[in-house]
Order: sequence, then C-alpha cells, then structure tokens
Amino acid sequence: MAVGLEHFLILSAVLFSIGLYGALAKRNAVVILMCIEIMLNAVNIAMVAFSRYGHLLTGQVFAIFIMVVAAAEVVVGLALVIAIYRSRETVDVERIDLMKW
Amino acid sequence: MLENFGYLGVFLIAALLFALTMIMLPPLLRRFGIVPKKPNPVKSSTYECGMDTVGKSWVQFNFRYYFYALIFVIFDIQVVFLYPWAVSLGQLGLFGLVEMAVFFLILIVGFVYAWKKGVLEWK
Amino acid sequence: MNLYLLAPEISLCGLAIVVILLDLVLKRKGILAVVSVAGLIVPGAFTLALWGREETTFAGMLAIDQFSLFFNLFFLVMAALVILSSVDYVSKFRAFQGEYYALVLLSAAGMMLMASTRELISIYVALELVAISLYALTGFLKDPKSSEAGMKYLLLGAVASAVLLYGMAMVFGLTGTTHLEEIAQAIPGGGLLANPALLLGIVLLVAGFGFKIATVPFQMWVPDVYEGAPTPITAYLSVASKAAGFAVILRVFYEALGAVSLDWGIIFAILAAITMTLGNVVAIAQTNIKRMLAYSTIAQAGYLMMGLAAVSALGSSALLFFLGAYALTNLGAFIAIIAISNKIDSDLIGDYSGMARRAPLLALALAFCLISLIGIPPTAGFMAKIYIFNAAVQYDLTWLVIIAVVNTAISAYYYLRVVKVMYLEAPPSEEAVPSSASLRAALSFCCLGVLLLGVYPWALLRITQAAVDIFFP
Repeated sequence: MAVGLEHFLILSAVLFSIGLYGALAKRNAVVILMCIEIMLNAVNIAMVAFSRYGHLLTGQVFAIFIMVVAAAEVVVGLALVIAIYRSRETVDVERIDLMKW
Repeated sequence: MLENFGYLGVFLIAALLFALTMIMLPPLLRRFGIVPKKPNPVKSSTYECGMDTVGKSWVQFNFRYYFYALIFVIFDIQVVFLYPWAVSLGQLGLFGLVEMAVFFLILIVGFVYAWKKGVLEWK
Repeated sequence: MNLYLLAPEISLCGLAIVVILLDLVLKRKGILAVVSVAGLIVPGAFTLALWGREETTFAGMLAIDQFSLFFNLFFLVMAALVILSSVDYVSKFRAFQGEYYALVLLSAAGMMLMASTRELISIYVALELVAISLYALTGFLKDPKSSEAGMKYLLLGAVASAVLLYGMAMVFGLTGTTHLEEIAQAIPGGGLLANPALLLGIVLLVAGFGFKIATVPFQMWVPDVYEGAPTPITAYLSVASKAAGFAVILRVFYEALGAVSLDWGIIFAILAAITMTLGNVVAIAQTNIKRMLAYSTIAQAGYLMMGLAAVSALGSSALLFFLGAYALTNLGAFIAIIAISNKIDSDLIGDYSGMARRAPLLALALAFCLISLIGIPPTAGFMAKIYIFNAAVQYDLTWLVIIAVVNTAISAYYYLRVVKVMYLEAPPSEEAVPSSASLRAALSFCCLGVLLLGVYPWALLRITQAAVDIFFP
C-alpha cells in the first residue's frame, strides 16, 4: 500500500478539523491562537501535497507565504493578549466580556 | 512493501527491549547482591549531580522576552524568503537582487523603529 | 514586468514608511496628519494617469483596468476622509500617532491590491495586509474595550482566513493553478454538483470572504468590534474593509467561477435575504449608536449582496454604485458621531437628546445621512436602492426585492428614532458642541457627495458601468 495524495489530504482534513474544534471550544486566548496555527499548517500540508503530486511549485510558494503571514498574525495576536492581560489579569476568553457577543 | 513494515516492527521490538532492560537492570543487580544499597539524602535527590531547583517550574516569564521574540520573528521570516531566493538568484539576475535589497530595507526600517522605541533595552 | 502599473500601491506603501520614520524624528506630531493626507495626492495622481489603461503585469498577477482603478480612487478617498476625521481623536494620544496614520495607509494599499490582483496567493497576502493593519488599529486604544475588540476581531478573522485558505487549497488542487483566468479554464464541465470537492472549495471561499463583508452567519464579530474600536476606525471598517471584500468577491467569482454562476448566484440571494433581515431586526433593540450602526451595516451588506445575486452587468454596476453611495453616507454619519462624542463622551442614543439645538449643523448632517441610509430622496441612498432593486427585478429576483422593501420599512423605524431624539427631545444642557475644521471639511465632503449622487447619479453610474465591463466582454 503506497502512501498517496489522498492520505495527505485526509491528514490535512483531520488536522484542520482538530484546529477548528479547538479554536471554537477552547477558552484560553493563547490556546486559540495555537489552534489557528494548527489549521493553517493543515492547509500547508494540503498545499505541499498538491504541489508534490501535481508537480507544481506554486503550492510550495503558497505554503511559504502562509507561514510568513501566519507569523505576523500571531505576533499581533500575542501583543493584544499582553495588552488584555495587563489590564484584566486574565486571558480567558469567557471572562473577556465587556461587550456581549 | 510489507517487509518494510517488518523491519519497522523489528526496530520497534529492539527499542522496547533495550528500554525495559535498562529499567530492570538496577533492581535485578541489587536483588542478587551485586550492588550495595546505601541511600543518603544527596543520592536520592532528584538532580543528584545538578543544582536544586529554585521555586516551581510553572513561572510566568517576564513579558520583555516577548519583544525579543518579536525582533526574532523579523529575521526568522527574512530567512524563510532568503532560501528560495538564494537558490534561484542565478535566473533572477539583477532585478532579483534589487528586489531583495528593497525587502531588506523595509525590514531594516522596522528594526530601526523598534530600536528607536527602546524595545532592545531591558528596563 | 511593468512597475509603473504598480505605482499607486508602491507610492502608498512608501508614504506609510515615510510617516513612520517622520514620527521617530519629529517633535510636532500635528504635521503627520498633514503629510498623510497630502501624500495621498501622489498615488491618486498615479491612478488618474493610468486611467483608461487595460493591462496586466507580473505574469498576469496584477490587472490594471477600470475596475481596479475605480477601487483605487475609492480607497484613496476613504483613507483621506478617515485620516481627516481622526485628527482630533489621534491628537489626544501621547504616543503612537505616526503608527496610526501609517497603519491606515498600509491597509488602504492592501485594499487597492485586493481589487487589482487576479491570483490567489497575492489575494491572500493583500487580504492579510488589510486584516492585520485593521486588527492593530482596532486594538489601538489603551482602554480594555478596545483591546478586547481587537482580540475578538483577530481570533475570528484568523479562523476565517484559515477557512478561506482551505478553500483556496481545494481550488488549487483541483485546477492546478492559482491564476483566476486559468482556474476558469480548468473547471471541469457538469456544474458544481458533479464536483463535490470544488463545491466544498467554493463554499469555503464564500465563508472566508463572507467574514470580510460581515454576512450572516459570519456577522457576530461586527457589533463588538465596532463598539470597541476607535470611532474613525469603526467608520473605516464599515465602508472600506467591506468594499474591499466586495471587490475581491466580484473579481474571484466572475473571473474564475463565471462558468458556474448559476450555482453561487442563488447562494448569495439567500444569504442576502437572511443578512438584511437579521441586521435590521436586531438594530431596533440597540441603545448604543455605534452598535446600532454596526447592525445597520450588516443590513446594508444584505442589500449590497443583492447586486451579487443578480449575476448581470446591471447587478454588478448597481453594486459598485451602492458601494459608493453607502460609503459616503455611512462615513458622514460616523464623522458626525465622532464630532458629537468628542464633546459629550458618550455613544448612547439617549445622550443625543436635543442635539439639534446644541449643534444644529452636526445634527442636520447626521439626520441627512440617516435618511440616506433609509433610502429617501433626494439622497444617494435612494438612487442606490432604486438601481440595485431594479437589477434584481430584471434578474427575476422579485421575491428578494419584496423582502428588501419590507426591510427598508423596518429600518426607517430605528434610523428615524435617532432623528426624533435629536430634534424633539429637550437637551440636558444648552452647551454648544464644537467641531474642528478637519472634521467639518470631511463631513461637508460626505454630505455634498450624498446630495450630488442623489440628484445627479449619472457620472458615477457611467464609471461603474465601465468598471464592470471587464467581467462581461
């Protein structure tokens, strides 16, 4: 049994679902950021797998850009976490509730 | 294909056996009286050859580390782009060189900005 | 590779860097706003110099055509108005004034790129350039509400962009390319139902872009973020960020997925009906004017999506016209609110009582903009609604138009309530509400624009028709 494209796509789909579940169910803002990273890396796996099996370099270029942009996004996210922590002493999103959803 | 998994299985079993042997060896040696049992406080401490830990390991890190992490991210990202660029610089020619110089310049502006704002000082 | 075609975006990014560096060396921060607004003339001039050209560059990644040039001008005007209306607000900050203006400029550059790229990677990068600048701007204030709004916006926005990326990965994997026109060629025949994976990809794309334009069910971030963000940024989010979302949706869905338009047209029609109804119904219950306008922008997004549901040149040009009218109107309303809340330091509708006597001109401008949001003549909102309803009727979406008309009637209730509070209730004090010159300039520009589009819409209409011509050769 050879490992083929569909295995990578299943792995990517599973990782994406785990990340999405975590992002919606977790309460700590930092953990949510980590779950978002899992989702983005699931996309990266799909991109690189498509690129490997379709012999297209574009997927790898896309993956590099996703990594870079995700890093920038997380940096801003952590800055906001620090800003909230300084004023509220908590990063629990259920207690960050000055305005209701 | 299947024999590849066979090799993997043999490897796994060998690894398990090795680990189990290492765990079982000291009690067995003591049982047969080959090694003496003379405990003392230093010997039964967690880090026998190291220093005692101070406080708990669940501590909050000073948030100033975070600024260093930020500056690190700038250069980290830069390297991600540098590798593919360096590999294909031959085909990109002068335009590629200038393009990367502009990219560097923008990152350096960011770095200078952080420096001027005093991020690199530990106050 | 023709760099000249990219000159508006490059000069705008250069301007942002100059503003940041000036902030480091200058002592008098007031100059920064002047530099930012005056500097916007450079990309504006480049855009006008490119007007009428139709070319692509960077291996087909970037398109310069009437569509992208229209949006270039649109975003430049929005950025200028937002900077003008922020001057008072920002001069209260002790630090970080340059960063504020630079982030506004950078996000405008990202929005311009969103309207002009025709390739998935650059669409993603442009979209994130906009989003990350706006996350930072939303959490810009020191108070906990603002950071909380920024945090919520970032977390939900990041999830949305991950979903969008997964959709892009599906489309890339099935078609083997990221260029929109090559995707259009590579889409297999037999419609979407015959290709479930492609259908999944498109649904994920709709979800990701739907977050940017705040359509149901991705609207939950809107009220909190709009309430917590600095008010000029709320205005910017409600018009420019939404317009950029619509620009990129038009580009992607017409250029790449035009062949399967029957399938996505109906998705947008249903979403439009739900979005406008939810926005209007929830807006009735609001007591904070920023939250009320937040729900009102959700409802307006519903009307705008009627232009997507009507897959025709008429529908798309009506959509662009509606965007222009809505942008001026909503910005005008927000600028009036900024001016009033600078003085009374409250966003509650109840505190606006008797504003007609404390600040007659501001109250008049706010009332005029609210009337335009309802869609009563002689305002831009009226013309925009006529065009977009007409386009929907022509496309056999009469049921959608009936829902939209009922919604317009509902919306009149909560818009007119603010007018009633301002004009008919007694003021708590007779103290006048002052406003600065830059705010007055921005507000008069918006109100004159709304009036002009209400009585003479033909000029803008011709431009929007030329802009969407590229999708209907």
